[in-house]
Amino acid sequence: MTCERAERLLDAYMDGELDLPGSLEVEEHLRDCDRCQQRLEERRALVGAIREKAPCFEAPGYIMTRIRARLGESSASKPGWLRLFQPAWASLSGALAAFAIAMLYFLGAPRPGLNEEAVADHVRSLQAGHLMDVASTDQHTVKPWFAGKLDYSPQVVDLASAGFPLIGGRLDVLDRRPVAAIVYQRRKHYINLFIWPAGEGASLSRTLHEEHGYRTLRWSKAGMNYLAVSDVQEADLVNFAGLVKAHTD
Amino acid sequence: MMEELYGNRTDAAMRQRFEEALLPHLDAAYNLARWLMHNPQDAEDCVQEAYLRAYKAFPRFRQGDGRAWLTAIVRNVCYTAIKRLRGRKEMEPFDEELHFPTPNPSTETPREADAEAVQLMLMNLAPEFRELIVLHDLEGFSYKEIAAIAGIPIGTVMSRLSRGREKLRADLAAFSKDSNI
Repeated sequence: MTCERAERLLDAYMDGELDLPGSLEVEEHLRDCDRCQQRLEERRALVGAIREKAPCFEAPGYIMTRIRARLGESSASKPGWLRLFQPAWASLSGALAAFAIAMLYFLGAPRPGLNEEAVADHVRSLQAGHLMDVASTDQHTVKPWFAGKLDYSPQVVDLASAGFPLIGGRLDVLDRRPVAAIVYQRRKHYINLFIWPAGEGASLSRTLHEEHGYRTLRWSKAGMNYLAVSDVQEADLVNFAGLVKAHTD
Repeated sequence: MMEELYGNRTDAAMRQRFEEALLPHLDAAYNLARWLMHNPQDAEDCVQEAYLRAYKAFPRFRQGDGRAWLTAIVRNVCYTAIKRLRGRKEMEPFDEELHFPTPNPSTETPREADAEAVQLMLMNLAPEFRELIVLHDLEGFSYKEIAAIAGIPIGTVMSRLSRGREKLRADLAAFSKDSNI
């Protein structure tokens, strides 16, 4: 196999999309060709960077409501009283369907309301002037402060050199449990980073959520859920999340 | 009267089946639209339009992968919108060769490409490259599924994805070189 041909097949090989003979052929070439081997490594790094760093945008919550409302309009107009004549099984299957849909959301990573709740927490923390229970730029002061207040120990990372100075932490409530809120600053904006154990709940896929000028970005790592919320630029938040992810074990 | 009742009942049943089959894929639909349209407002409009079209076409939807089916519709709606935004100019068939970067002798891949650069460069890629990277690397569709979604041969998926990634790599390398000076 020539390098030219190997190059053409390299992505498909990496993606597991080549048939067996094709894969074997590429592998044989890779054993003898350092240059193509290096190309493959680079490609893996690139796709890793895309998966890690390009955000999956999440639909704002109100879109679902709007779509459902418009579906209602577009189905045949039905006089309200006809509903009364629907056989019992129809409403039962309706309830079952609603339950099934709800289960899909609870079982899947995104939980409805989590982003909205985090944004509300964020806004409240700013309005009430209750941003911090412990004000410190020292991670070794902020982290121990949570000891005894939570049944887990959040990792507090120092990102000052990257332009996200730590300014403190506080206890907050998210997803019906007390959570650590670590507060960072980006120029004149604040970022709240919520950290709590993934526990029995589903872990979070990496998603970016935009609503009313605030963005939330959430992910899971090593059994912990992370959710960053702020009004900073999208790219700043994405960068921030990448840094936190890179600095936590 | 009976007909009305019956029609009504099937409507409601169909709506339920539709919501069960397709609403769970709202985030995937939005993600593709957001990457193709560049901004949240246009993405929202396209997603809503796509769901309405999907609903109208739903009686023809047979068992299968609802996510891929919906994604194909989202993609169509987005391309129509892009065409309209560009002033109804007919889109020329995409020529990969034209968009292929001049071979970059530097093989360096910016290992620590920051998130901002990755997002920016991916957004700036030609949509035909961008959608393949989003569909494969972010949404996890297989080559075969992408071929069906985009209506192109599987060989084209393979070459276009490869070239798209190569272009992205070259752009990132150039970007990090510029910003390091």
